[in-house]
Amino acid sequence: MKKVLIVDDAAFMRLTIRSILEKNGFEIVGEAENGEKGVQKYKELKPDLVTMDITMPEMTGIEALKHIKEYDPNAKVVMFSAMGQELMVREAIINGAKSFIVKPFTEDHVMQVLNKILII
Amino acid sequence: MSVQYTNEPMLDMLIFETTQLIEQLEQSILNSEKSSCYTEDAINEIFRIMHTIKGSSAMMMFNNISTLAHSMEDLFYFLREEKPSNVDCSTLSDLLLEGVDFIKLEVEKLKNGDNADGDAAALIDRINKFLSVLRQGNNSTVSTKEIKVGQIDTKKQQYYISQSKVEASTYNNAYKAIIYFEDGCGMENIRAYSVIHNLKDFTDQIFYLPDDIIDNDECIEAIRNGGFKVYLKTDCSYEEMHKIFMQTIFLKNLELIQLENDDELKQFLEEKEFTDQEYFNKAPCQHAIYKEAKEYTDKELHSPPTQQSMISVSVSKLDKLMDLVGEMVIAEAMVIQNPDLKDLELDNFQKAARQLNKITDEMQDMVMSIRMVPLSATFHKMHRVVRDMCKKLGKEVELKIFGEETEVDKNIIEHISDPLMHLVRNAIDHGIEPHEDRLAKGKSQAGIITLEAKNAGSEVQVIVKDDGKGLSKEGILKKAKENGVLYKSQEDMTDREIFNLIFLPGFSTKDSITEFSGRGVGMDVVTKNIETIGGSVSVDSVPEKGTIIMLKIPLTLAIIDGMNIRVGKSRYTIPTISIKESFRPNEGDIITDPDGNEMIMVRGQCYPILRLHEIYRVKTGITNFVDGIIIMVEQDGKSTCIFADELLGQQQVVVKSLPEYIKNYKKIGGLAGCTLLGDGSISLILDVGGLINI
Repeated sequence: MKKVLIVDDAAFMRLTIRSILEKNGFEIVGEAENGEKGVQKYKELKPDLVTMDITMPEMTGIEALKHIKEYDPNAKVVMFSAMGQELMVREAIINGAKSFIVKPFTEDHVMQVLNKILII
Repeated sequence: MSVQYTNEPMLDMLIFETTQLIEQLEQSILNSEKSSCYTEDAINEIFRIMHTIKGSSAMMMFNNISTLAHSMEDLFYFLREEKPSNVDCSTLSDLLLEGVDFIKLEVEKLKNGDNADGDAAALIDRINKFLSVLRQGNNSTVSTKEIKVGQIDTKKQQYYISQSKVEASTYNNAYKAIIYFEDGCGMENIRAYSVIHNLKDFTDQIFYLPDDIIDNDECIEAIRNGGFKVYLKTDCSYEEMHKIFMQTIFLKNLELIQLENDDELKQFLEEKEFTDQEYFNKAPCQHAIYKEAKEYTDKELHSPPTQQSMISVSVSKLDKLMDLVGEMVIAEAMVIQNPDLKDLELDNFQKAARQLNKITDEMQDMVMSIRMVPLSATFHKMHRVVRDMCKKLGKEVELKIFGEETEVDKNIIEHISDPLMHLVRNAIDHGIEPHEDRLAKGKSQAGIITLEAKNAGSEVQVIVKDDGKGLSKEGILKKAKENGVLYKSQEDMTDREIFNLIFLPGFSTKDSITEFSGRGVGMDVVTKNIETIGGSVSVDSVPEKGTIIMLKIPLTLAIIDGMNIRVGKSRYTIPTISIKESFRPNEGDIITDPDGNEMIMVRGQCYPILRLHEIYRVKTGITNFVDGIIIMVEQDGKSTCIFADELLGQQQVVVKSLPEYIKNYKKIGGLAGCTLLGDGSISLILDVGGLINI
């Protein structure tokens, strides 16, 4: 089972993502509500995949992505972004995010992205 | 309602989280309004909150909430990025609060299982107008949209060369690829960008159409309709290239063609360029970092994570836990004080019993502390009440808050929020005078309402104080007479008793009921609410100085430390916290005044004595003070002495309210409830405050 870490400041989003992923046979090894905790948990849990929100308190998703990538250049991080954050998503891609999912998302979209990333 | 995610837990979570965020937002707005400017932190916070609400509600397809949140987010994005100087804070606050109210209402609808069908179009419209006014006023940096439009006009289609101009012939193969993304995957331009970004590993000669994928939103349409075209030169074989392209996420369709010659490519080479040298330099050193990191992680694996984490638990589970602990405390007493054990020498049993006692104590403290919540959220809600009231009534009021960190049981908090709001409204509406009157009286223009909470023994006092005109005794008496709630002749009544008339059902001093206070219900609702949680309300007032309303609420409903005493065959429990001392009196210290009231002199102070057996008409053989025991109790700085037969011992007792049929029959003064003792007998818990006032 693939291990996933969910980083999002909205508990609702974490729950939604978790339920989609669990339904599709992923194991959620951890959740974090801001970038800083996300980085910490990444080091702790070594997940196969991270879903990362962009707008978060303490440390943004972009910063967290940079830290995770610095720690593990092979980290697979998928950004979750809302419309209107194109520039931030671009920055995330430049900094090594594997892909991104635009909110509001569908189960189908999320699974497509995650499955593809895990194959690569 | 959403078709996609109808799952209850998610909706619950959405409601819970949105409610919290909205509260936080409201607080932030009110604070900002008070300091009459929105700080960078506040703007960031509001932006983030709106962003989260937008995302979550869009997920559940509550489009009205999400579009409203979106428009507010846009507004704050502008504020954050452009830092305009011409913001009309008061209008901004009004708009925001209106939005807050709208979302609150919608969330409330969701909570009740209704559809969130409100329409915020008008408000969104006003927010957008507000934003465009800001934009116009902030000419120095014209809005980003406008810049874009201008650019497109002048730029037309330009080809973009992404890499440095190395000789075009270093690579052997040229390809043309057209990528189609799946419908609805969103941000096609950025997806295209990431394709290019990935390709940079294989070549430095890439050209693509449309070229301005980042800066131009309109190219999204172009990509959707015509696909994203990529031209590149590389050494990779067709199969390799195909594989790379197939990794593209949300790929619907790929056309990959190997080009015979460079002709199509060359047209790109003449124009602009930018280097991506940096990227290539970075690649090797990343591997080095990776190695180091690997070693590091191996070490780290062995040290367990020490982070503290939180979980949220449903209140009903906590309630259940509390009940169970209560039962356990009783069970413990039943075991340890079991009558079968009487007069037995049981050293080991006693030791074990002490250990059990210690653990149950700790456990209980822990359960209590879990349930304790600070009053701050409840108090800060009042800011909004004050603000709205002031705007409507044209009064100026400053709300001062003290002791917001005071903690009370979660159940209790829920019960005092409404009464508190009612009191604050009343204070503003009836208490605080209009500006002119205040100035004429030599008071400050702004009225002051103080909310204060403090711990006093086993209870918490919440005080609502205003510096308004005070209560009018004549008004109250007149009204009381009209409504027939006067229970004794007015000459016999103390000021306090008169003031407390306002808490009686069917009483309301204002003839016309205003929108805020009143509502056809009087202060008796406050009393009722507070009494259900075992608290009490009292009022004091000085004409032209103001009114003080004090709510006394128990810290917790469940378990108290008590001293069991015996009178005849009855048992009573006095909360240990109110006991000052207990002693056997000397005959000589007892004083009887001409009215027959008995008093005792202790260290030069005189205290009244209450004979419990007289108050509750219990038969006992001990009526002589020197045969029994005196327990001095204190509450609110007032002391009294209780006379009982003997002390039985101290123990934790679970407070149960008196059965309804007793309460219905007659309200018995001085009793706070009852409890079950270890031997199965029932003990009445004395309410010290009530006894003192008997």
